[in-house]
Amino acid sequence: MAFPKELIRNFSIIAHIDHGKSTLADRLMQLTQTVADRDMEEQLLDSMDIERERGITIKSTAVRMFYTARDGKTYMLNLIDTPGHVDFTYEVSRALAACEGAVLVVDATQGIEAQTLANVYLALDNELEIIPVINKIDLVSADPDNAIREIEDIIGLPAEDAPRVSAKTGLNVEEVLECIVTDVPAPKGDPEAPLKALIFDSFYDNYKGALSYVRVMDGTVRPGDRIRFMHSGNEFDVTEVGVFDPGWLPVKELTAGEVGYISASIKSVAETKVGDTITLAGNPAKEPLHGYKQANPMVFCGIYPADGADYEALKEALDKLILNDASISYEPETSQALGYGFRCGFLGLLHMEIAEERLEREFDLDLVTTAPSVIYRVKMMDGSIRMIDNPSNLPSPMEIECMEEPMVMANIMTPPEFVGSIMELCQDKRGVFLDMTYLEENRVKLQYRMPLNEIIFDFFDGLKSRSRGYASFDYELGDYEQSDLVKLDFLLNGDMCDALSTIVHRDKAYAKGRAVAEKLQEVIPRQQFEIPIQAAIGGKIIARETVRAVRKDVLAKCYGGDITRKKKLLEKQKEGKKRMRQVGTVSVPSDAFMSVLRIN
Amino acid sequence: MAGLYIHIPFCRKKCRYCDFVSFADSSREDLYYLALISEMRLYAPLMKDKRFDTVFIGGGTPTVLSEGKLGHLLSELKNRFDIAPDAEITCEANPESASEEKLRELIEAGVNRLSIGLQSASDALLRRLGRVHTKADFMKAVNTARKVGFTNINADVMHALPGQKREDYMDTLRLLVSLGIPHISSYSLILEEGTPLFDDVNAGRETLPDPDDAADMQDDGIAFLEENGFARYEISNFAKPGFECRHNLNYWDNGEYLGLGLNSHSALRLKGDWTRFNNTENLSEYINEVGEGKLPVRNTQKIEKQEEMFETVMLGLRKINGISRSEFQARFNVDPVTEYAPAIAELELDGMIEVTEESLRLNRRGLDFQNEALLKFMDQ
Repeated sequence: MAFPKELIRNFSIIAHIDHGKSTLADRLMQLTQTVADRDMEEQLLDSMDIERERGITIKSTAVRMFYTARDGKTYMLNLIDTPGHVDFTYEVSRALAACEGAVLVVDATQGIEAQTLANVYLALDNELEIIPVINKIDLVSADPDNAIREIEDIIGLPAEDAPRVSAKTGLNVEEVLECIVTDVPAPKGDPEAPLKALIFDSFYDNYKGALSYVRVMDGTVRPGDRIRFMHSGNEFDVTEVGVFDPGWLPVKELTAGEVGYISASIKSVAETKVGDTITLAGNPAKEPLHGYKQANPMVFCGIYPADGADYEALKEALDKLILNDASISYEPETSQALGYGFRCGFLGLLHMEIAEERLEREFDLDLVTTAPSVIYRVKMMDGSIRMIDNPSNLPSPMEIECMEEPMVMANIMTPPEFVGSIMELCQDKRGVFLDMTYLEENRVKLQYRMPLNEIIFDFFDGLKSRSRGYASFDYELGDYEQSDLVKLDFLLNGDMCDALSTIVHRDKAYAKGRAVAEKLQEVIPRQQFEIPIQAAIGGKIIARETVRAVRKDVLAKCYGGDITRKKKLLEKQKEGKKRMRQVGTVSVPSDAFMSVLRIN
Repeated sequence: MAGLYIHIPFCRKKCRYCDFVSFADSSREDLYYLALISEMRLYAPLMKDKRFDTVFIGGGTPTVLSEGKLGHLLSELKNRFDIAPDAEITCEANPESASEEKLRELIEAGVNRLSIGLQSASDALLRRLGRVHTKADFMKAVNTARKVGFTNINADVMHALPGQKREDYMDTLRLLVSLGIPHISSYSLILEEGTPLFDDVNAGRETLPDPDDAADMQDDGIAFLEENGFARYEISNFAKPGFECRHNLNYWDNGEYLGLGLNSHSALRLKGDWTRFNNTENLSEYINEVGEGKLPVRNTQKIEKQEEMFETVMLGLRKINGISRSEFQARFNVDPVTEYAPAIAELELDGMIEVTEESLRLNRRGLDFQNEALLKFMDQ
């Protein structure tokens, strides 16, 4: 017997980082006894270590709760959690498409943030009912009236009756459940129609394989059914369907309006792409649900093992990583400086950093990462077009007619006092000013058209430091634009180091060349000979630094009979050597390649 | 050839750069002294077939021990161990504790070599290092030493000190030359983690000299000492003819030695196996274990032949005369020039090493880059 559809509520929670999304989710689960208090691991939904440390959700998850409302009826509430970062906008939009409502959590001490707003618009695009909730009212600095005014002014949503809660203490959280029951519409859909299940997430399990997390829009799916992924065309036999309890709980069927998972011995999450529609092979739907997009990597970098001997281990780690994150692309590449490694593509900078961190932490690898690059469109003299994601592969300037780079529309929210300094930053990053609006007295929205390659370096850090952390920003990918770009190379003792090459705008090449050369001069240890460091565009040297020759390298200390100390020091030196990469005659420490990324 | 080392882990005050095991608190001096004597008794039966050619009492500052103790320790030592009649017996002293009584006690107990810690002849630098003596104290100590009969005297000095100018260092060497000191050990300051100086440098309160300036200082010092009748016989050691330190030469020859006292290190051939071990560095553990009749030994390791050969190279190449091919052959049954042919070939190409009929040795450039050279032997 299927659960009565009119008693189902599917919703998600929209909140800025730190505004209390996970804490609220925890309270909802406690109140509905979905998890016993004693089993309650803080912030249950965010299960990855990195997510916990950074306080953000990377992958979305879902949980089913039962709640007996004041009207005496018991409702099934499916909470679908959404990732909380600009790199994952598409994943957020698919998770929202699986819901009928969204709880908008606003921190009473902070008000609305830019990123929240972006997600609210996504929710409105998906025609979701939005339930504003004012959180953290237990804090002394809480200003719930201001938060309500912001919601009404900025989003245009009546918020006078929004529940004022403290997810931390549990105060008024039950009101949120009541609002969900009364305000979020019950799902529509026909259990008898051909199956249409929207994949909003996927998860790789060592035993079950890749699971599709779905919201069934129409129809019913049971174990034994042969299913088809409408975009990829792949077909599988369903071995199990289930719900999130919050662990996986197998059920007999999933039917229109319900949220759950489908297990079908799928080998990798790449085969169950977020946004794809699952239907029955025997009785397929006429057309898939709309909104499917291939998630394309936007930011690329070379990832190499710090110790060349770990190449195989890195390959295995990447293989495992993409089992759970199909949006990462990678292919082998070689660098003269770094040896064998991989060119990896990511949705954005944060995505890249998280992946690197997971590789280092979960697979215990030491990595060397090259400067991130975007994909440049290169129009060749012969009329052909080449897409270049690695500066080393840029054809010679003689063969290039012109180059184009990807642009983004950047939205920056900031208190007015930082506008001047942020505008300077945007200008410096080749931004073109589009618009400035006062959203309210204390909040300005700046819009800039900017090259993506300028924001993948240190734009975010710059924004934070110029606004004392108050400004936030997000971006939408735009089109390509012709630009005067050059390849900036670095030579160490006359030998070019491919891993350091970057593509930059001609106007910035000199400053960048100088800064990187200076940095290299700091991080390259002195060797037995003098090392000239040169920055070059084409054949032209634009900056030069020198690492002086080392004069002595000898232990001139008396350790008496303690020869183990001498040996240990030598061992250490030997280890250090292993972490050096040979660029021509010069030994370069692995971390030098990364330290040049952090240049002011 | 075998050496015997005795560690006295007490000082009047701990220097700001020092990371050796020593304490400014002397409350357990008596207990420690008794424990040392017990440790000698424990080792005596194990060492009855071993003749010791050198003895070195180091620290810490051995001369801070209250009167009578050093004399008694040495007579215990001679009673229980086979000390060669012509043994070189060195004792370390710092200028502030080198009183006439103390030095007389040493010479009467058979000490025939005195090693005085000067470090620098600049009072300003001495204060900065946290040392408790002055240049004048040192000069007085040298006078006293001579008066009681010491002729074989060493002075320890340092270069690459924070705030040290080339002239400061040269002044120090000039003083030693003018005083006619026949042996000088000149080490470069190594900043060790956990020392107050390390923290000062990290916090920017102290600045180490530029490495090039430090290298100049060292090179000028070597030239000056050589002009004045000293031979550099090891990377950091200089002696007038006949005044080389036999105890330290034994370390560089990778010879046998027994260490007594806190955190002392030993290398002995035991039942045919080349073996290294050290004593605990925890004072309470040391006193308790010895009191219970146990050897306070830690980290005993049997050294494989390959490793023993490398150690011999690592230590031997510190000497200006390098490694004796015949001694190496006698010990390992292989000529080092054959054994390490690839490393030697590379180092010859780099212009760092010299091979002669008798020896394998680093030249001046090789000595400057001894670590690089050793890594080649290690990797081979």
